[in-house]
Amino acid sequence: MVAGGELITDDGSSGVPVAAGIGLRPRHVEEILTTHPAIPWLEIHPENYLGGGPAGRALEQMRRDYPLSFHAVGLSLGSVDGVDPRHLKRLRVLAERIEPALISEHLSWSTTRGVYLNHLLPLPYTEESLAVVCRNVDQVQTALGQRVLVENPSLYLRFRYSPIPEPEFLNELSRRTGCGLLCDVNNIHVTAHNLGLDPVAYLKTLQPALVGEIHLAGHARNDADGQTILIDDHGSRVAPDVWQLFSQALAFLGRRPTLIEWDTDIPALDLLLDEAHVAERYLTDEPSGDRRAHAA
Amino acid sequence: MLTLREIQAAFSRALLGGDETLASAAVLGNGLAPGARLQIYRHHVFTTLTAGLRASYPVVCRLVDGRFFDYAADHYIRSHPPRGPCLFEYGASFPEFLAEFEPCRHLQYLPDVARLEWALNAAIHADDVEPLDPAQLRGLPEDSLALLMLRLDPSLTILSSRWPIDRIVRANQPEADPGIVVDLAVGGVQLEVRRIGDDAVFRALDPPTSAFRRALAEGHCLEEAAATALALDDSFDLAAAFQALFAEHLPVDFAPSGSRRENG
Repeated sequence: MVAGGELITDDGSSGVPVAAGIGLRPRHVEEILTTHPAIPWLEIHPENYLGGGPAGRALEQMRRDYPLSFHAVGLSLGSVDGVDPRHLKRLRVLAERIEPALISEHLSWSTTRGVYLNHLLPLPYTEESLAVVCRNVDQVQTALGQRVLVENPSLYLRFRYSPIPEPEFLNELSRRTGCGLLCDVNNIHVTAHNLGLDPVAYLKTLQPALVGEIHLAGHARNDADGQTILIDDHGSRVAPDVWQLFSQALAFLGRRPTLIEWDTDIPALDLLLDEAHVAERYLTDEPSGDRRAHAA
Repeated sequence: MLTLREIQAAFSRALLGGDETLASAAVLGNGLAPGARLQIYRHHVFTTLTAGLRASYPVVCRLVDGRFFDYAADHYIRSHPPRGPCLFEYGASFPEFLAEFEPCRHLQYLPDVARLEWALNAAIHADDVEPLDPAQLRGLPEDSLALLMLRLDPSLTILSSRWPIDRIVRANQPEADPGIVVDLAVGGVQLEVRRIGDDAVFRALDPPTSAFRRALAEGHCLEEAAATALALDDSFDLAAAFQALFAEHLPVDFAPSGSRRENG
C-alpha cells in the first residue's frame, strides 16, 4: 500500500498527497474559493453535505481545485444494530458525485435503536465487538466500492471487560476486512493520558503498512474531581506533547498524508494554514521516511 | 457481563438523562466515579445538539434569551433525540415541542416563529431540482388540465400564522434596527418560504394565492386547488395564478391526472 512516490495508493486509484492538509470548515469555504490558497488537500465531514443547496455546489467547486477526503462521523461502525442503509446510500450518492480520494470513519458507535447520539461513543474491545465492527465495515466498503480507513477514537473511560488492546483490535479489524487505519496522534495522546496507557507502546503496536493517514488536533485540559482529563475538543493549536508523538509516529509508521483538525473556536484560515505548515516541516524533516513501512 | 447490545442501550439511556446504573456498572472508574466519566460524553452530546438547535433557531433563541433556550433545548433533546447523523436535519419537531412546553406557552407566537425558522433551514438544504419547462404541458388535452397535478419546488413551504411572524423575524436579525417594535395587533400573515439562488427567503402572499399554492403543494389537482382559492375570493384569477407559478419557477414536475400524492 505504501508507494515510493508522493501518493499513498491501495488499488491504483489516486489518494491524497503525503503532505499536510486541513479540515475544511464552512466559515473558510468562501475565502478558499476566492483566494485559492496553496493547500495540498482538504478533508470534509460528508454529513454536512448530504442535502442540496449551496453547500453541495461549493463542495463541487472545491473538488475541482483540491484533492478531497471524506471523514465520516455518522456511520456508527460499532453499532450492534448495523449501519443505517438509508444513510449509507446518501453517503454513496455523494461519494459518486464528488469522488473523494479517501473515505474514513471512526472506531466508535453513535446509533442504537434508531437514536443517534451525536458523539463518537466508546466500544468495549471484545470478540463480540470485533465481529460487529467487521460486519459493518464490510457493509460500508461493499456499498461504497472502496476501502475505508478507520480511526482510533479519543477515550474518556475504560470498560470493565475489554480484553483486546485498541491497536491490536484495529490491526485485526484491518486483517479481517481489508480496511486501512487512520492514526489520530492527538487521540492516542488523549486516550493514553485518560486511561493511563503508554502512547509510544500504542504506536509501536500499530502495523505501519495499514496506516493511510494521520490526524493532528488540539485538546483541552479539564479538572474532574482532582484528576486532569484531556478532552479532544479540536479547539486549539496542537500541543507540544502531541508534536513530539507525531515525530515518533513518523519514525515508526513512515510519512503519511497528515491533517490538521480544528472544530471549535475555529481560527482565521491563516492560523490554520500556519499549523499545517508546522506539520509539513515535520513531514519534510523526517529523514528516513518509510523505513518501517517496508519492514512490516 | 453485558452484551454489546445491552451496553449500547444502557449508554443511550444514561447519556439522554435516564438511569445510568447499568452503564456505570460496565465502566471502570480509574480514580473517578464511572458517572463522572459518563458525564464527559453526556456533556458533549448536549452541548453539540444545543449548538445545532441554536444555529437553526437564532430568532427563537434571541426572543427567549440564550439561557432559557438552552433549558428548553435540554428538555427537547431528552424527549426528541436525533434519529440521524445530519445535524442540519435535527430539530424539525422543535416548534411543536415549544407549543407544548409549559414555561413558554404564554408566548403564543413563538411556535410559529420557530416554524418559519425551520422552513428557512429546510429551504437552504432542500434538494436541487430543475424547474419544469411549461412547454412540456403543451401536448396535454385541454380538458385534462383540471386534473393536472404539479409538484412544486422542494424548498417551498407555505406558512399561515395568526401572528406577524415575518415582522418578528425581520426585527430580530443581527443587523436590524434595535429600536423596531413589532405590534402583535397587526395580525396574521400567509408566507411563502423557499430558496432562491443560494438564499432562503420568505414573502407574504395574499390568502387565495396562499391557499392555491398550499393545495398544490399538498398534492391536490389544479381544479381542487382553484376551488380552495375561490372559496376565499370569488374573483380569484386561475389563469393568472397558473402563469405566476411558472414565472416564479415553482413547478418542477407534473402528473396529468390520477391519484393524489404527497409533495415531499
